[in-house]
Amino acid sequence: MTTVPFLYKTESLLMRVLPLPVTLGMLASLCAVFWWVPTERVQGPVQRIFYFHVPSAWCCFLAFGLASVTSAAYLWKHHRDWDNAARAAVETGMLFATAVLITGPIWARPIWGVWWTWDSRLTTMLVLWLIFAAYLLLRAFSGERDGGSSGARFAAVLAIVGTLDIPLIVFSTRLWRTVHPAVLKTSEGGSGLSDPRMITTLILCTLTFMIMFAWLWALGARSLRLDDQVALLEERGDRLAMATGSNTSTGEATV
Amino acid sequence: MLTLLARDLKLQFRRGELLASSFVMGVLMLLAFNFSLDLSPDNVAALAPGILWVAVLFSAGLAAGHGFVGERENGCMDAIVASPLDRGSVYLAKFTVNLLLLLLFEAMLLPVFALFFELSVLPVLAPLALVLLLGSIGLAAVGTLFALVTVGGGGRDLTLPILLLPLEVPLLIASVKITRVVMAGGGFPWGDGWVRLLLGFDLLFVVAGWLAFEYVATD
Repeated sequence: MTTVPFLYKTESLLMRVLPLPVTLGMLASLCAVFWWVPTERVQGPVQRIFYFHVPSAWCCFLAFGLASVTSAAYLWKHHRDWDNAARAAVETGMLFATAVLITGPIWARPIWGVWWTWDSRLTTMLVLWLIFAAYLLLRAFSGERDGGSSGARFAAVLAIVGTLDIPLIVFSTRLWRTVHPAVLKTSEGGSGLSDPRMITTLILCTLTFMIMFAWLWALGARSLRLDDQVALLEERGDRLAMATGSNTSTGEATV
Repeated sequence: MLTLLARDLKLQFRRGELLASSFVMGVLMLLAFNFSLDLSPDNVAALAPGILWVAVLFSAGLAAGHGFVGERENGCMDAIVASPLDRGSVYLAKFTVNLLLLLLFEAMLLPVFALFFELSVLPVLAPLALVLLLGSIGLAAVGTLFALVTVGGGGRDLTLPILLLPLEVPLLIASVKITRVVMAGGGFPWGDGWVRLLLGFDLLFVVAGWLAFEYVATD
């Protein structure tokens, strides 16, 4: 099986280089979030979840962006490596999107007084999560029946169309909110970062999450690649067994 | 392309089962809403547009996958794809058939809707029809694009509504908003942001479907 050298090399590099920085970065981020950064005056300690919430959101946008770009590359080149890259990006992106949807309500409850409000950002995030959940379901259902190739193409179209849909979702939910004013104004982050240490912590956490995303993506893409190789070897083994069972000479020729 | 369009229309009308089942599904949804929402004359004006659109959205989502069922059964899709017709035209033909079916379904559902909820739709029929048309274009465009997914069969039939609904969120919000304005007797709100959104959605998905069919329908 041929590979796309660029992807293979990127994966290998990320897998080799990143584990240590991610570990150190995560430790540093935890220290910064829980000890170093000052407590926000109005919101209190719960505001510290912000340093994980916002980087998760940024990483999930990055991941879904990467997924649509690699999906487009797959539709163009028809190479399975691009598909695996897209799928790994969606899987990793869903991880971060889920983290956003979990940390969000935990933060919202004490500050806004509600777990959930149909604010533009919240709605957009949820719809995004649903679109890419559908992507993963589609992958799960399309399975191996036809070598997964048509499933991969549909999924690629879904990733691209889903990404194209995002501006419309943002626009519609924003317009919707202005017609029905939200219970509470949301000025997430922006306003509260009075202390430079808060900004430093946010940057540190964001960088950590970004490299963690890159590492997880590389691992995901590599494991999908290995899955492919295992399937291919099994198929070859089966063919070999069949061939040697009936006729040795033709069996050798097919392998 | 016109031949394909005529053929599909003929097939659909000869069988008619798709239209009938969508209609029954839509009526059942109206019934379910009637019981579950405890409607009264005070709140019906606020809730009715939402009810209409959710009924349309779900019936269309369930029906979308069946446009290609006949093609799957007798391997007709392969023949169509193998024909010299470019695949964009195949998409446009399928899209038009779905749109016409959807409009017919809505034309059947609307009297029932008006009857059930005691709404007078006749005075606002023209602008309401326009909203339904614009909404249906978007629904048919998305539905046709992803209906091909079900050609493969298996559990994919199940996935189709799950794929369609999140993508259709902007369409749902916009259509409900416009319908509410229209049903309140405000005429068609041409300059409204919602109308622009709906038009943008229609355009985006018709073009995206047309382009993507090239890649999706390769076998």
